[in-house]
Amino acid sequence: MFRPVRSIRLPLHTAVKYRALATAPKFPVHAQGILPTSQSPIVSELQFFNSVTGGAGQIPTYRVLDGAGVPIDGAEVPEINEEFAQKLYEHMQLLPTLDNILYNVQRQGKISFYMTAYGEEATIIGSAAALAPDDEVLGECQYREMGVLLWRGFGINGVMAQCFGNQEDKSGKGRQMPMHFGSPQHHFHTISSTLATQIPQAAGVGFALKRDPARRDKNVAVVYFGEGAASEGDFHAGMLLASTIPSPTVFLARNNGFAISTPSSEQYYGDGIAARGPGYGVDTVRVDGNDILAVMNAVKEAKRRCLEGGRAVLVEAMTYRVGHHSTSDDSFAYRGRQEVENRKKIDNPITRFRLYMESKGWWSEQHEEDLKARLKKDVMQAFKRAESLKRHDLRELFTDVYGGEEPWNIREQREELAGLLKKYGQVWEPWRNELAAFKDGGEKVGGPPS
Amino acid sequence: MFVPNTKLALRTAKQRIPLLLQSSAPPRRWQSTVEGKVEPPPAGGHLPSIATSKMLRTTRDDALRTPGLAWTDDDDSTGAVRNIVGGRETRKMNMYQAVRDALSIALAKDDTAVVFGEDVAFGGVFRCTMGLAEEFGRERVFNTPLTEQGIAGFGIGIASMGHTAIAEIQFADYIFPAFDQIVNEAAKYRYRAGGQFNIGGLTIRTPTMAVGHGGLYHSQSPEGYFMGASGLKIVIPRSPIQCKGLLLAAIRDPNPVIFMEPKILYRSAVEQVPIDDYTLPLGRAETLIPGADLTLLSWGTPLYTCTTALSLLSSPPPALAPLVPAALRGARVELIDLRTVLPWDVEGVVASVERTGRLVVVHEASVTAGVGAEVAAEVQKRCFLKLKAPVKRVAGWDVPAGLQYEKFNMPDAIRILDGLIETLSY
Repeated sequence: MFRPVRSIRLPLHTAVKYRALATAPKFPVHAQGILPTSQSPIVSELQFFNSVTGGAGQIPTYRVLDGAGVPIDGAEVPEINEEFAQKLYEHMQLLPTLDNILYNVQRQGKISFYMTAYGEEATIIGSAAALAPDDEVLGECQYREMGVLLWRGFGINGVMAQCFGNQEDKSGKGRQMPMHFGSPQHHFHTISSTLATQIPQAAGVGFALKRDPARRDKNVAVVYFGEGAASEGDFHAGMLLASTIPSPTVFLARNNGFAISTPSSEQYYGDGIAARGPGYGVDTVRVDGNDILAVMNAVKEAKRRCLEGGRAVLVEAMTYRVGHHSTSDDSFAYRGRQEVENRKKIDNPITRFRLYMESKGWWSEQHEEDLKARLKKDVMQAFKRAESLKRHDLRELFTDVYGGEEPWNIREQREELAGLLKKYGQVWEPWRNELAAFKDGGEKVGGPPS
Repeated sequence: MFVPNTKLALRTAKQRIPLLLQSSAPPRRWQSTVEGKVEPPPAGGHLPSIATSKMLRTTRDDALRTPGLAWTDDDDSTGAVRNIVGGRETRKMNMYQAVRDALSIALAKDDTAVVFGEDVAFGGVFRCTMGLAEEFGRERVFNTPLTEQGIAGFGIGIASMGHTAIAEIQFADYIFPAFDQIVNEAAKYRYRAGGQFNIGGLTIRTPTMAVGHGGLYHSQSPEGYFMGASGLKIVIPRSPIQCKGLLLAAIRDPNPVIFMEPKILYRSAVEQVPIDDYTLPLGRAETLIPGADLTLLSWGTPLYTCTTALSLLSSPPPALAPLVPAALRGARVELIDLRTVLPWDVEGVVASVERTGRLVVVHEASVTAGVGAEVAAEVQKRCFLKLKAPVKRVAGWDVPAGLQYEKFNMPDAIRILDGLIETLSY
C-alpha cells in the first residue's frame, strides 16, 4: 500500500499551461453613467479582459475530502450513513471490476469494443447518487456513464447483454457497439457514438420536463460529456439554449484531461469548461471529480438551483482518465506510463473514499476482501451467462427503422434477404455460421410486417 | 427479385446470352490462387482476401507500371513529363503508410501546406500522420480541438488565402457537423465569388466504410450525401499505390476534395509503392479486369468483395455449385474501380456498358439515393438500347449499420454473386 498524501500537489493537467496574464475587468469607482438599456457602466479607461475570476488565479475547485480522506477545513460533509456510504463504495468498486474483466474479454475477441472508466469512478457514482432515479440522463460523449445506470439498478446482466449484443440486450438489440446503453425504465436516453450531439437535446429534455406539471418541480435533465466534446458546436448550442430558453438542465463536464490523445492543454486555451458558464449566464462550479462527497454536494446543489431558477447549471468535474481512451487506443503512445502510475497512486478516488470510510469505522480490510470477491464472482457469472446467449432474431435488422407502417423499400429488402437466405443460407458457409448465432436462425426475416 | 429456380435461370441464360456459350476463349480464372489445380477451393477457404488480392501490385516492376501514373519530378521545370521507370524505387507500404508518404511529400514540396485534425500530432488514430509533427514541426502538423465544423471551416479559411490545407475528420461518420461548411461553403466558394476567390487548396481526408465491428457510427459510407454538392470532388482509393497518387492529385487539384480512405485497408492492403512524387488522375475510373459480358462497378473496400464473388462465379465451391449455372461460369466480367465518385467517369463506365450490356454497381452505403442510383440513371439514359438487363445495385439495405447484423447488411460476396447471376441470366 502506498501512503496517501493529505494535500495533493500534483498539478492538474488543465493547469499545466498557466496563462501568462489573466485579467478581469476593473469596475470604476465613479461610473460615468450606464450604457442605455443595460447595466454596463461607462468608463474612460480602455481595458481588455480574459478572465472570469476577477484576478490572475484560476477558477477554484470545490473539495470536501483531502487525499487522505479527511474533510478539509470548513468543508460540509454530506449527511450519509454507513449503509449509504457502503453502497457508494460498492458501486465505485464495481466499475473497475467490470472494467478489468470486460477489457480482457474484448482482448480475447469476445466483444468488439470496450471503454474503461478507471479514475473517474467518483465523478460517475457521486453524480448518480446526487440525482433522483427519475432525473433524465443523457450520457454520451465518452460513453463512460455505465455507473449511473448501475446505480439505478440496471444490473450487471443488463451491462453484459448490451456488451455482447445478445437477445437480452434491450438497449439496442445488438445494433450498437458495446457501452452504448439506454433504458427508459431507468430514465437513461440511449447513448450514441457521436460526440456532443446530446448536449442540445438535453436542453430540450429539460424544457419538456418543465412543461410537465407532474415533473416540473421534481426532475431535471442531466447531460454528461467530456472536455473534448465541449469543443463541439453542439456544446455551445446546448448551453445557450438551456439558459436563453429556460430549461432545467445540469451540464456535467467530466474533464479527464484527454480526448483520445489530445491533452486538455490543446483542447482549450481558456480556464477549462467552467469559464464558459458565465458567458451564457449560467451558474457554474468546478469540483474535484476524484472526491465523491464533493461531487455529490456539487451536483445536488446544481440540481436545486436548476429547479429553483429553471435554467441550466454547469458542473465541471476535474478528474483524470487513468485508462486508455478505449480498447482501440494505446495511450502510452502519447503519455508517459509514470504519469499514469503517479495519478493512480497519488490521487485515486476509490482509495480516498475508502480512507474516509475507514476513519468512520465503516470499512475494514475484511469488508474489502469480501466485496472484491463477491463483485468478481457476480461479474464472472453474468459474463458467462451473456456469452452463452444467442443474439436477437435476425429480423431485427429491419425493425425499428420506422414506427408505424413498414415502408415498401424496407419490406422488399427484408423479403429479398429472406429469399437469399433460403437459397444460400445453408450452403454458403460464412452465412451458415453467422445465422447460427441468431435466435431465429434467420427464419423470421421474411413474412408479413410485425 | 432474384430467380430461385436455378433450372429456369440456366435456361434463361442460354436463351439470353448465347455469346457466352459460343466463346472459344477459356474462362478467365484470374483469381484462382492455386494456378493449374483443378480442385475448387473450399467455401471460405482459398477465396481471395485483401492481403492476397491480385489487385495489389506487390512487385517493383508492377508498381512502377501502374496505369495512369504521372511522375511529378523536382527537375520538371521544362514541363516535360519523364515517364522513365528505370532507376525509380518502390517501398513496401500499407495504406496508412502510403497516406503518410503522400502527406510528407506535400509538406516537403509546398511551404504553405499544413496538416491538422483531431489527434493528428501523435500520428492519428489510424497512424496516417505518424512522425509528421516531428519531421515538419507542430506549426505545420497539429491537433485541433474536437470540432469537425471548426476543422472544415478553418481549412476553408486557410485555403482561401491560397495555402494548402489538408484536414482530417477522424471518421467519415463524424463528418456531418461539418456538412454546412462543406456543402454551403467549400462547394460554393468559387461560384458565389464569381470565380474571384477559391479554396482549391482544401483537401479533407476521412476514414470510411465498414470494418466488421463498427456499428452505427463507425461503418458508414457517406459519399452519397455529397453527390449534390457540385464544386466538390469525392475520391475513394482502393490500395496504397492508388491512395498516394490520388491523394497527391487531390491536394493539388484546383477544387476542394473529400478524400475518403477505406479504413479496413489501412493495414490489410500492402503494395510496393513508388517512393517518388506521382499523381493518378481524378475523375477517371480504372478497369481492373477487362471483360465483355457484364460491367461490375465499385470503389473502395467492396472491390475486394467483388473479386471474391467473381471467384465464386468462375469456380464455385461444391456446396454452391448447384446454384451457379455452368453456362455462367465462363462469363467475362469487367471489373471497374470508379475511384472518383464526384464528378464520376461517365465516359469510361458508359463505354464499358456499351460493350457488355449489363451493369452491376456495388456499394456499402444504403441503396436508396446512393451513388449507384446516380450511375444507374445516367447509364440507362445513355445505354438504353444496349442494355440486356436492368442495372442492378447490390448495396447496404436501407437500415443503419447494426453491429451484430453487419454480415447480412453489407453487400458480401454471395449477394454480389447472386446479383451477377441474376443480371447475366436476365
